[in-house]
Amino acid sequence: MIRDERLTADELQRIDDHIRDDWPTGAAVDFEAAIAYHESLPAHKQFADVLESADRPLLQPRAGVPRLDDQVNLLTHLHDEGAADLLPTTIDSYTRDNEYGKAQEGLETARESGDATLNGFPAVNHGVEGCRELIDRVDAPIEVRHGTPDARLLAAVTFAGGFQSFEGGPISYNIPYTKEGSLAQTIEHWQYVDRLAGAYTERGVTINREPFGPLTGTLVPPSIAIAIMLVEGKLAATQGVRSLTLGYGQVGNVVQDVAALRALRKLGNEYLPDEVCVTTVFHEWMGGFPPDEARANGVIGLGGTTAAIARPDKVITKSPQEFQGVPTKEANAAGLRTTRQLIDMVVEQDIVLDGVDEEQALIERETRCLMDAIDAHGDGDVAQGTIEAFGSGALDVPFAPSDAAEGAVLPARDDDGRVRIFEWGELAMDDDIKEIHGARLADRAETEGRKQSFRMVADDVDAISDGKLIGRPTGTDAGTDPRGDGGESRAD
Amino acid sequence: MPTTVILGVIGSDAHVVGITILDQALSAAGFDVENLGVQTSQEEFAAAASEHDADAVLVSSLYGHAEQDCQGFHELLAREDIDATTYIGGNLAVGQDDFEQTRTTFRTLGFDRVFDSETTPEEVIRSLERDLGISTREAETDRVQA
Repeated sequence: MIRDERLTADELQRIDDHIRDDWPTGAAVDFEAAIAYHESLPAHKQFADVLESADRPLLQPRAGVPRLDDQVNLLTHLHDEGAADLLPTTIDSYTRDNEYGKAQEGLETARESGDATLNGFPAVNHGVEGCRELIDRVDAPIEVRHGTPDARLLAAVTFAGGFQSFEGGPISYNIPYTKEGSLAQTIEHWQYVDRLAGAYTERGVTINREPFGPLTGTLVPPSIAIAIMLVEGKLAATQGVRSLTLGYGQVGNVVQDVAALRALRKLGNEYLPDEVCVTTVFHEWMGGFPPDEARANGVIGLGGTTAAIARPDKVITKSPQEFQGVPTKEANAAGLRTTRQLIDMVVEQDIVLDGVDEEQALIERETRCLMDAIDAHGDGDVAQGTIEAFGSGALDVPFAPSDAAEGAVLPARDDDGRVRIFEWGELAMDDDIKEIHGARLADRAETEGRKQSFRMVADDVDAISDGKLIGRPTGTDAGTDPRGDGGESRAD
Repeated sequence: MPTTVILGVIGSDAHVVGITILDQALSAAGFDVENLGVQTSQEEFAAAASEHDADAVLVSSLYGHAEQDCQGFHELLAREDIDATTYIGGNLAVGQDDFEQTRTTFRTLGFDRVFDSETTPEEVIRSLERDLGISTREAETDRVQA
């Protein structure tokens, strides 16, 4: 039975030997040589130091292409033209599925044809030397960003290759990313990743770890996201991780977003051991974007404004081409500049928002309910507690594709656009908190002259791409009569 | 007897929001919903339809590979002797914005109705009521003609 206990040196070695056999590049992983390489890097490429000593929110985009030269050029462009403070290397989908053979084919086709045949950088295939060449040729700290449930070999290769920050975690890269795949297994796999990061850290090479806060990216209630960040933070800390960046995805209501980021930082410092340096990352809107660059810039601008008020340590930016998928490097740099403009204009203003303290108190109470439930489910063991709490539905994520989660919780916006919980499932929450959510949703229903229903959820999912925050009924679809006769133009 | 509807996202697609909402809407409207979730194979759709003696099979696809994923699906259903109404909906084609053409493609594959990603749950419910003859307004015999 998996428990939240530190892997021994023998276990680390055993998994290490076994995992490095999964692909030929694993053989080049040498811990002592890797420590020496990290120590040779200049101060401005030391990820944790740069992040933790910053005096303003640092900006980081998403970006990954298959070929090494192209990745160097892309990151250099984002650094020079977008003024990104921190850079990413986004990993391709085959690698995320541990399909290194398919990634190799894609990489070779890309090298021959020049086309981007993969949707990211296949770091395992590039190997330790390829990763170090990237680190050497790009003049800023670089993080590995991916979505890999079993990221053991990816971590072994990229840590040895000079990367000092690694996104993901056993819940945040399981629940939103796969259908099958038990939490017990992903927790076990990530214990190795975190223990490896801990082993580097103990040798003076801090590996920053970043649980993926936005989860399913679709109207995730702040307390659910924060609870999962705390769980992943605790699991990582047990394995010796000492630099943790907890994440949260923008929901679009400024008061709720500022309150959530403050709650995330406060609870992170409270729940995680003192020896861990906790930082926060704010993801600009992860849901559907408007199909129009001008309007998309508006969404990005709201993210920058929110960041300027809440002051997270890092902001992950979006591009105005988000709607159509992978952006051009110019559009990606534009998203960075738009965000920086908003942050720098707003950050020195003393803006006091009404209701932030109350909202923060509510988020903290909700998060404590979830953390207490996890504790109770696992008899004090956070690994077991998380598995059991997801099993019973006491912990849940809306729109989770994974069989490991109930996926019964449904969110909807209240009359002010804050994300509330419309359908609770078995989520562990005090009754008076449920009443608060119910009352806020009732206010919205009254304003809109309709009953609370799944229809609000559906409308809210599309609202921002449709140009609003709240999915209010419009003149054409206000009717709730299911026996109405409209819609034939679209139906067959 | 309640009407049984099979719901799922076909292929390797993990987009879950649409069927989650559809599940809620159909359940609220009184349908017996068997939601197979994301990343569902043709065989899993067929097995569930057979096991639950389904009246309708609703296939969702958002990632653009629907045409490939649905090749041979109706032949499989026929071989398994499954006589259910079939719908497909979502973002059914990449970079192809002529929905009439997409509709024709999927009608040819054998689907009874084809919906775009803007379709509301109510439209689906109305269509099911009509096709399955379960609306109070329509006689049972309408189903034969549909």
